[in-house]
Amino acid sequence: MKKSDKKGIFLSVLSVIAFLGIWYLCTKVLKLVPENTLPDPVKVFSTFVDKFTNPNPDGGTLLQHMGASLQVALTGYIMAIVIGIPLGILMAWNKYVDRFVRPIFDLIKPIPGVAWIPLMIVIFGIGLQSKAAVVFFSAVVPCILNSYTGIRQTKEVHLWVARTFGGTRNQMLFKIAIPTALPYIMTGTRIALGAAWVAIVAAELLGSTRGLGFMIQQARGIYRTDIIIVGMLAIGICGAFLTAVLGIIERIVVKGRKSND
Amino acid sequence: MIKNKTGRIFEIIFYPLVSILIFLIIWDVGVKNSELSVVMPGPWEVVSKFIQSFAVPIGKYTMVYHILYSLMRVVPAYIVGSLAGIILGILMGWYPVINRILRPLYELIRPIPPIAWIPISIVWFGIGEGSKWFLIFLAAFVPITLNAYAGATTVDETLIKCSKMLGASDGQVFKTVVLPYSVPHIFTGLQVGLSTSWATVVAAEMIRSTEGVGWIIISSMDTNNVVQSLVGIMGIGVVGFILAIVMRKIEEVLCRWNRIET
Repeated sequence: MKKSDKKGIFLSVLSVIAFLGIWYLCTKVLKLVPENTLPDPVKVFSTFVDKFTNPNPDGGTLLQHMGASLQVALTGYIMAIVIGIPLGILMAWNKYVDRFVRPIFDLIKPIPGVAWIPLMIVIFGIGLQSKAAVVFFSAVVPCILNSYTGIRQTKEVHLWVARTFGGTRNQMLFKIAIPTALPYIMTGTRIALGAAWVAIVAAELLGSTRGLGFMIQQARGIYRTDIIIVGMLAIGICGAFLTAVLGIIERIVVKGRKSND
Repeated sequence: MIKNKTGRIFEIIFYPLVSILIFLIIWDVGVKNSELSVVMPGPWEVVSKFIQSFAVPIGKYTMVYHILYSLMRVVPAYIVGSLAGIILGILMGWYPVINRILRPLYELIRPIPPIAWIPISIVWFGIGEGSKWFLIFLAAFVPITLNAYAGATTVDETLIKCSKMLGASDGQVFKTVVLPYSVPHIFTGLQVGLSTSWATVVAAEMIRSTEGVGWIIISSMDTNNVVQSLVGIMGIGVVGFILAIVMRKIEEVLCRWNRIET
């Protein structure tokens, strides 16, 4: 087992190196594509390092753009969690709330967050609010959906037991239904995080003055493909990082999960 | 639970109608009695405009054509993307060597949302259909690969051991155990891929296009026509809803054996 694992890692490393090598060969050595269409990996790397300190040509360093994007994305995301999860739980737990909110939610659900952008810009302007609202709309749907499904997964038998022992409806909700739903809710927050991150990039592509989406859109305007690729990598890295952080939180909050799987 | 028929009809039709009606009335009253009326139209105007849009063209085409244009961008690329995703995902899940070689490269592009590819796809493929197909391909390919991979790796060990003990060859195990076992996972991926594809085409059309439902929205932004914007949102929502239902029906038919007990 140990030995084959070592060989596997070797293969992975080799594959990445081969990929970079082919990329370098096609662009720098053979010059199959012009440099402004696809820059070579060395150039991308040096731009990446350079962008940490150099605000040109789009008026912000990489970290400033990242900070701007993260700030808006997290604002909308936290709003979505704070509103979405309780709403989903309430919808699943209370028949009347379900009857009233569910049809409206079903109407809004299939609309991608991106589609809200122009409307939000009209209502809130092009500042933080409109983008946070777009992020909110993208992220709230999985939050509601998953907490709803989670609560609905509660086993009837558990509720009967609680009722037999004289548990009140509130006790049943907080002691049984919510703990049952917790893994689902955490999955929902993870999906929502991905959705939020996509939404912020889209919102910045369309109208903003700072942020990673803005950076790559500007770079396209002046044909700086290296900056576009750097921006995409930064977007990917941020997304992966946020997901990893959430994974750690999930492992702390949802303790009983591993044994269930 | 046993319910009489009228009670069920009441539940399915009456309550949603009332709730949507109340929602529209709140919207109407809220808009009329606040500063929002400057920018926000009332619901009746939007709904009637939406119905009209099927006969009266927005821009060059009517709503139906816009929707068809967007679907024409989604469907071919989605099919290619899902085929590639299913093949790659299952191969990675079943052959450790392929997994070791291709997984790192896949992990490089996985966290980058398809929307972030828009600028570079425009540089590479121009502003025509090519860049949109490329984006949809990515939007479908990434989640479908992931799910197909999950399907192929979570196959019940016992089943594989059983079939091997009964003398199945590697190819037989692959065909009769691994593939069917992965199908429900693949369908989850297909669902997710379809909704991200649809969201991506809207985004791509918003960046650069001359027709399509995304165009309806973005052109309304240029002309400050909020009614049109809301009509576009409704169109996108309706199509997204129909796509999801169609996909679920296909899954129900193809995976009849896998009905999850509720």
